[in-house]
Amino acid sequence: MHDHGSNDGERYRDSNLHKVLLIGNPNVGKSALFGLLTGRYVTVSNYPGTTVEVTYGNAVLNRTRTLVIDTPGVNSLVPMSEDEKVTRDILLTDRAGVVVQVADTKNLRRGLTITLQLAEMEVPFILDLNMDDEAKSRGILIDQEKLSQLLGIEVVKTVAIRRSGIDKLLKGIQHPRPSSITVRYDDAIEGGIRDITALLPEANISRRALALMILAGDESLKGWLHANLQDHVIEDIEKIRQDVQSRFNNSLGYLINQRRLKKADEVLSQVLSLHEAGKGSAIAFHLGKWSMHPVYGLPILLAVLYLVYQFVGVLGAGDAVGFLEETVFGEYLNPWAAKIVHFIVPVPFLQELLIGDYGIITMALTYAIAIVLPIVGFFFIAFGILEDSGYLPRLAVMVNRIFKIMGLNGKAVLPMVLGLGCDTMATLTTRILETKKERILVTLLLALGVPCSAQLGVILGMVAGLSGLATTIWIGSIVLVMLLVGYLAAKIVPGEPSDFVLELPPIRVPQLMNILVKTAARVQWYLKEAVPLFILGTFILFVGHKVGALEYIQKLTDPLVVGVLGLPSKAAEAFVIGFLRRDYGAAGLFMLAKNGLLDPIQIVVSLVVITLFVPCIANFFMMVKERGLKTALTMVAFIFPFAFAVGGVLNWILRTLNVTL
Amino acid sequence: MLPVRCAFQGGTMTERKRIDIVEGKAGHPALCVLPEIEKEDELFEIIWTLREDGKLTIDQIIQSCSLPECENILQDLSKKGWINIKGQAVELLPKGEKRARELVRRHRLSLRMFYDLFALDGAEAEACKFEHILSPEVTDSVCTLLGHPPNSPDGKPIPRGECCSMFKQEMKPLVGPLADIMPGDQAKIVFITPGSHSRLDRLSAMGVVPGSVVKLHQKKPSYVIQLGETMIAVDKDITKEIFVKKV
Repeated sequence: MHDHGSNDGERYRDSNLHKVLLIGNPNVGKSALFGLLTGRYVTVSNYPGTTVEVTYGNAVLNRTRTLVIDTPGVNSLVPMSEDEKVTRDILLTDRAGVVVQVADTKNLRRGLTITLQLAEMEVPFILDLNMDDEAKSRGILIDQEKLSQLLGIEVVKTVAIRRSGIDKLLKGIQHPRPSSITVRYDDAIEGGIRDITALLPEANISRRALALMILAGDESLKGWLHANLQDHVIEDIEKIRQDVQSRFNNSLGYLINQRRLKKADEVLSQVLSLHEAGKGSAIAFHLGKWSMHPVYGLPILLAVLYLVYQFVGVLGAGDAVGFLEETVFGEYLNPWAAKIVHFIVPVPFLQELLIGDYGIITMALTYAIAIVLPIVGFFFIAFGILEDSGYLPRLAVMVNRIFKIMGLNGKAVLPMVLGLGCDTMATLTTRILETKKERILVTLLLALGVPCSAQLGVILGMVAGLSGLATTIWIGSIVLVMLLVGYLAAKIVPGEPSDFVLELPPIRVPQLMNILVKTAARVQWYLKEAVPLFILGTFILFVGHKVGALEYIQKLTDPLVVGVLGLPSKAAEAFVIGFLRRDYGAAGLFMLAKNGLLDPIQIVVSLVVITLFVPCIANFFMMVKERGLKTALTMVAFIFPFAFAVGGVLNWILRTLNVTL
Repeated sequence: MLPVRCAFQGGTMTERKRIDIVEGKAGHPALCVLPEIEKEDELFEIIWTLREDGKLTIDQIIQSCSLPECENILQDLSKKGWINIKGQAVELLPKGEKRARELVRRHRLSLRMFYDLFALDGAEAEACKFEHILSPEVTDSVCTLLGHPPNSPDGKPIPRGECCSMFKQEMKPLVGPLADIMPGDQAKIVFITPGSHSRLDRLSAMGVVPGSVVKLHQKKPSYVIQLGETMIAVDKDITKEIFVKKV
């Protein structure tokens, strides 16, 4: 949830810097190591798929300027999702440096299957056994010397989050070697490898590795093949593949994986010894178990939600906002600013621009810093704790069935929950989903119904003053709309849903430092991202107000805003700025409600409408980037009218039933 | 290789229920020259099945039988002391009873195996070939592998064997879908019958391959399995395709 700096890649890619490439299974600590080596923070969490893009960072390692590259985790270098493809592609096209394979020591079997693939690629690399502490506490001991001997490469042990073993890692980086270990496949497959190898051009990775990827049916190689080979050669290769495949019942990809796992087991049996496990992990283990228990799981979920609500909604949106907005801004900053502005800027027009009703200080900064920032900050802390504890993937286990209604599976809960932090980053995280259909559905649902932290906080602050029924109606409407739209969209969007296969990380005690650093990074990102838009929005309102356009818009939208939604005509302002950022729009509604201009039904209706808005301009651009302009525009064209329609229906129902909130 | 029984070679034969064939509603006897022993086997099966239905008479046997020399074989069996014929009544003598029971047991177990394990419907012809090559030991192994099933797929009872009575208390299949083991149990993956290639590729990339030991953590609200230190949440459908043997 901050600038991942992927664009830097373009700049660095061709430079002659030393490169260190971090590669490994998901959730093994690559990003933690990256942060340690570069001093540059990238989001570190306890669930697979935190990193979905390549991140570049500069470091001076062993007195050499080095470019460190963090990659999304992979279970196989034959990619199954977009984030995995990113990693494989960088090996394929961008290598010329040291590869550091990061492995989870307690899960070495799976790490070794990656090791074997790197060995097949003949790239020089070293193996880092990370999370050595966790392995030890589970009684798992790896004979590092022996492993190094078997693989023919340097093997080091680290605990990245405690900085331990880093000096050895740095030493190891100086001596990367291609691994000497080899895997022999079935004769027919070996034959296929020979035939295909003969047709392949020189590449960054060995032809044998490429041939194996092709045999495994790696469709994502298509682009590379077409760029490097003539069409008839590709046809020949495909023929060879089909010929080999026709000799087996099972897919070649599976047979190849199976063979690698067998080899990994052979290696493992020589280096792994089991001892008595420590007691420390038992509590965490049981907590993890209960959190997805069919009976206890629900109360735990409710307790988590309640605590987050208390922390963000009551403490953050209530107390902290109250203090900042009323005391700090209301009593001190805004009056001071008014005095100072009056003193140094004698022009009334500019004075109004800064401190008027639509003033940059009195409106934009007050909204951004006094209302939204504390809420966002509190939310990021709560969210960071949840992320690092490993609870989020367990949530996926709880909601898998509900998500099936929307043509998705439990795995989609990760981007959706991330959306509660920031929909823009969450849209990027849809890369962890396997099919295009799922990525489109989640992008739509994120844009439509998942309120981001800023907006959520403002909303929580508003509903906190209302009855429980009002909150329930708001949540109920949103959930219902999402289920309905998801259900229908799943019917319309072509493609198949994918299997629910999700790795669950162990429950861990969140590290205070990581939470703080992560929150700071996210708050910084928020300020960079949101404040300029708040100022822009305010400026638009100011200009609109000055030239009378605002009144015109209000008059124009009155039939909709007043007639259909039953809101005061001033609410149109909130919706106008809601087009830029819906949390800003929500903040506008917040102020209306605070000044007693909205009754409870109006609050609920306006909240539902603003929640269903497209999150913000940045989110829209992300949708364009990830899904293409056409899809993004289609979604937006659907979302805005739909949001008003839902609000109209809700208003009609509440008024007709004469609900008292 | 044993000679294929001609009764199953003609036209649409493989699509018909084997039980029809046993009951003699189909067949091309003119085309067949079955080995003597298999002809006898067929009669034993007919006798057993008719007895189950309570319709065991000489006329019924002849009507159900696809072989022209049916009556001769019956006389032959009677002479050899397998069966006893009195007017219309037919009775299995002790050694005939044993042979018929084993035959029917093998036949119905074979059907069960093709149906359950290989998910082949309409594989009756294959199943029938099988019944003749199963030795008593293999029969019991198949029975155990399938979990001592009480019925064949068409609902007829499978005569119990010795292996079944040894497990009277608890008759759990030796190999069965991962979906069926109890939460907390550990099992070794024997084979996987995936719905799609990509599913198998994905699972194998996470270490789910035959030979791996897997522990089932829970079934609700979603299935959660553990391999080594890897915990994976999966759809129920997937666990139905992973066949395991308890360890």
